Amino acid sequence: MHETNVILRKELRDAFRSRWLFAFAGTFAILALTLSLVQGSAGDLGAQGFNRTTAGLINLCLLLVPLLALVIGAGALAGERERGTLATLLSQPISPAQLVLGKYLGLVIAVWMAIALGFGAAGMLMALVSPVTDVNHYLLFVGLSAVLAAAMLSLGLLISVVSDGRLKALSIAIVVWFLLVLLYDLGAVGLALTVSSSGRSLLLVVLGNPIECVRILAIMSVESDLDVLGPLGSYVSNEVGRGAGVALLSVALLAWVAIPLAATLRIAGSRDA
Amino acid sequence: MLSARGVGKRYGAATVLDDVTFDLAPGEVLAVIGPNGAGKTTLIKSLVGLVKFQGNVTVDGIDVAKHGRTARAKIGYLSQNPALHADMTVSETALFYADLKRVDASRAREGVERAGLGDHADKRVAALSGGMRQRLALALALLADPPILILDEPVTGLDIAARLELRQLVLEQRTAGKAVLLSTHWLEDVPYIADRALVLEQGKTTYLGPASEFATAAAPRSRLYLRLNGHTPAAAPLIEEIAPGGVIGQAGDWLVVACRATEKARVVEHLVVSGVKVLDFRVEDSPEDDVAFRTIPAAGGPDARN
Repeated sequence: MHETNVILRKELRDAFRSRWLFAFAGTFAILALTLSLVQGSAGDLGAQGFNRTTAGLINLCLLLVPLLALVIGAGALAGERERGTLATLLSQPISPAQLVLGKYLGLVIAVWMAIALGFGAAGMLMALVSPVTDVNHYLLFVGLSAVLAAAMLSLGLLISVVSDGRLKALSIAIVVWFLLVLLYDLGAVGLALTVSSSGRSLLLVVLGNPIECVRILAIMSVESDLDVLGPLGSYVSNEVGRGAGVALLSVALLAWVAIPLAATLRIAGSRDA
Repeated sequence: MLSARGVGKRYGAATVLDDVTFDLAPGEVLAVIGPNGAGKTTLIKSLVGLVKFQGNVTVDGIDVAKHGRTARAKIGYLSQNPALHADMTVSETALFYADLKRVDASRAREGVERAGLGDHADKRVAALSGGMRQRLALALALLADPPILILDEPVTGLDIAARLELRQLVLEQRTAGKAVLLSTHWLEDVPYIADRALVLEQGKTTYLGPASEFATAAAPRSRLYLRLNGHTPAAAPLIEEIAPGGVIGQAGDWLVVACRATEKARVVEHLVVSGVKVLDFRVEDSPEDDVAFRTIPAAGGPDARN
């Protein structure tokens, strides 16, 4: 645990030093404020301010958070390997698993800090200019972004541990992001509808992509009527139940955190430094 | 203290290390020698647990493959090209590795001072010269005062003074009862610095025995470059008297002489005493393109297969 903690602290210090943490926080804050201002100018800011802003932010964050987290995760181990520092670290009294875990936790905390700083600052500014309502939705969205970041960092680290160089890792990360964010909707949903258009198959498709899990969870948090989700919403409402649906999606999301991380730990322990 | 049994490593169809077996006792220095690509670095990485390998390596009875972390706590390791985080300062680097090794911060600061880097403590690693970086990496290897020191080509890139300092450090470690394993190209150093020598060629042990016997058997050789101000015709026979067949060619103004490492000073001395003016000379110890390793007896030394 001590060794993991030492690596974790180093990752946090590196994040502060390289300033990417502040750059991401700034990006998140600007996004949230821009959306709230746009909606404010349209007369929406006020009683529905947080709710509208939250809904608007969902789509933007489902693009941005996975990209940032995948890229950071992918560079983590591959970068150390490329610079030769991975071998230096692993020649110390530390196991590969402790090293990976320390890096992962450090990166997760750093990204969470960026999310909290960015959305926190934006949320406070919004609260100053409008009555505070729907804060829970906003906070839930921030929480979902944080879990999504943890899942994507986990996937990024998996890419990193199997890649020989940083450039290769980053290239794979971009391709994975493109697949998950842009192609998945078209391909998987299309396939599900072609093979079977049932709500069950749509739910399985959603569970296969952490970004979709977050999207549906976010929509379920702001929409009382699940019909907005089409056949999937009907299936969740009528067959699974809203509570069980939320639980299922949450478990899937956590599995997206745990499974790639477990695979990374296993591969790191079996690879030459 | 360190025991290697049947250590082997394959990359696909290529065998880079084949059934290497040896023991290293406390207070003993073992030199691992061999031409480039002989498997020296792979052997060392196996001992530290940085690569997966066949066979068995134990450090003070601890299996490196199974309990690498615990075993590495007893090893100070200096890699051939030490890679440190370039954005950290010397002081931060020392403190970070001290923390990782559970060593007190004061020892980290002492290590930096002892390495002669006290005045550079706030400098980033990226701004250090190659020699300074090597000294810092060596200081990190010694931080926890480990009972085993493993040095992979530690003199690479060092000037003569630093090389002599390193030789002194190895001898001090031996006196302190530490087990030291080092790989080197500097065959000349071996009899003075090491108790035993392990020679690898194409991943196989070709000699394992006393370093003094290795020096005789392997006859470390040097290549001497002499600039003689046009006295080459007169000099060649004089050189042949000391090093028969030693004159192997000419490169511009320079006469190239191959001789035993122990004879090179005598070659120069003989020329000077005989009235040949030596304007300049350079020495190169490059065993991989020389005959040193091919002169080792086929028997492979007294302990080659123990």
